[in-house]
Amino acid sequence: MHAVDSPATAPPAPAPTAPSTPDRHRARRRRRPQWTPLFLALPTLVILAGLLAYPLGRMLVLSFQDMTLRHLFTGTTPPWVGFDNYTQILTDGVFWSVVLRTAVFTVVSVAISVALGLAVALLMQRVSSGVRIAMVIAMMFVWAIPQLVSAQIFKWMVDADFGVLNYMIDQIPGVDFANHSWFADSTQGWIVITTLVVWAGIPFLAITLHAGLTQVPQDMREAALVDGASPWQTLRNIILPILRPLLVIVTTLSVIWNFGLFTQVWALRDAKPEQEYQTLATYAFTQAFARNEYSLGSAISVITVLLMLGVMAFYVRQMFQIGDVD
Amino acid sequence: MSTPRSQRTRAGTVAANTAGVLFVVVMAFPVYWVLNTAFKPASEVLSFTPSFFPQHPTLDNFRSAIKAPFFLVDLRNGLIITSMAVVGAIVVGFLAALAIARFRFYGRRALIMVILGVQLVPFLSLLIPLYLMLNRANLTNSLIGVTITYLVLILPYTVWMLRGFISAVPRELDEAALVDGCSRWQTFYRIILPLTGPGLVATSIYGFIQAWNEFIIINTLNNPETQNLMAWLLQNQTQRGTAWGPLMAGALITSLPVVVFFLVVQRNITVGLTAGAVKG
Repeated sequence: MHAVDSPATAPPAPAPTAPSTPDRHRARRRRRPQWTPLFLALPTLVILAGLLAYPLGRMLVLSFQDMTLRHLFTGTTPPWVGFDNYTQILTDGVFWSVVLRTAVFTVVSVAISVALGLAVALLMQRVSSGVRIAMVIAMMFVWAIPQLVSAQIFKWMVDADFGVLNYMIDQIPGVDFANHSWFADSTQGWIVITTLVVWAGIPFLAITLHAGLTQVPQDMREAALVDGASPWQTLRNIILPILRPLLVIVTTLSVIWNFGLFTQVWALRDAKPEQEYQTLATYAFTQAFARNEYSLGSAISVITVLLMLGVMAFYVRQMFQIGDVD
Repeated sequence: MSTPRSQRTRAGTVAANTAGVLFVVVMAFPVYWVLNTAFKPASEVLSFTPSFFPQHPTLDNFRSAIKAPFFLVDLRNGLIITSMAVVGAIVVGFLAALAIARFRFYGRRALIMVILGVQLVPFLSLLIPLYLMLNRANLTNSLIGVTITYLVLILPYTVWMLRGFISAVPRELDEAALVDGCSRWQTFYRIILPLTGPGLVATSIYGFIQAWNEFIIINTLNNPETQNLMAWLLQNQTQRGTAWGPLMAGALITSLPVVVFFLVVQRNITVGLTAGAVKG
């Protein structure tokens, strides 16, 4: 597809401990640059340690303290409170409703996105080339639009008074949707949010999966057709197994991204999401920066990261298993 | 058998094309709607029967967006912050990518794991400690603080993408250059750097998009004089209520560089995230 994934075709590097030539000169030269790579990686390591690892540690420490605005201004060390923050969060019904909401949203939105993405990828193979180009162009534009901007577009389209959506639904005979507020009822509000996330997520999924579909050999499909397989059987027994590694990766990525849902809710709810629109990300942010409960916010973030740790480890493992990484 | 099947295929193609066109319309409609709104005069924007074309196209919305408070300041800030962060990430990241792609060393696998893993940590969860750190260092309300933060934000992906581009340069070229008497530095300078040129461009552009689109960190750390255009958009939405015309015009201006850049480098972006899973 492009230079980035051609390393697979590069010849395997000889192991550094066993030089292929017995030449002593070469052997010495291969052992010596041990310091060079570390030297090269040093700036990156310093930056990641200072601005990622250290803040992560700070966040952990903070979650066991009680940091208030006073400590922020005076710079004094906040008092240690042990597991108080965690006890407070974990015994709070509101927190659990936020966790549940985030989890349900993640499952529903990822299932819809991946299913639709696959359907669109399959559709791209069936249409004539002109239509396919139009599909790719439309998806490219959707993909390119910044998250905040697409959320604002949706906010404008579902506007209660002047939104085009209410106008169009209102045209259906017998339906009165004038001045309908989509966010008064949280179920409807979440339908809007999910639609936005799915709409914005389809291009990545469909285009990636379409690229993956080109790996399914044409003669395999023809053979299945000759043998009398139905389209459904071809999909289940030939296409899906070949597509599996890619499907696993894109699903994992979608889970991680959608679980961290923030921007769309933030923009659609005017930067002040009501209780029934809070996700884990917005909840932690609101606790920390709107209520100055930095420690509670940190504890919620720690719990969020812990909840996602399994999925992240899974992704990294998959990337290693597929190869290419080494 | 053959006639009904070819008929069925033709009917299938027509059905598929219809579905495809429908899909294009649904996907493209919101994009079209921004354009439509941005070129309408205020009277047409706030109308109970929205028209699907601007009846009297005008550039008023663009004018009022540009004249709005902080637009030009935030545009300048965004360009400065983004370009500094990208240059920093590319320089630092290229060295690390070189180490990963061209050397076997102790801790290499761990480094790869960290670089893949940290891309998945929700950056927002680091915002609290980052805010406290930058606040302590007097780097809030300054361009330097966000620039450093954005550099960290784009660094892991930069390393990862550049690693792919460097690996794609055949190792034999390095070795041939070494045999011909080039020093390691010359090998890097004469072989690897020129051959990864397109990769450097693509990676820079991707970093630019990432940093340009960020708004929540900068909105938390800085005040409007030191924010970027995305934060400006958010504030215009939440503070000025329903000025949808100028807001959509502002959104269009803000998205334009990103959309253009994205279309240039799209092919590389997917591949970095799913490296190896697609081989074409």
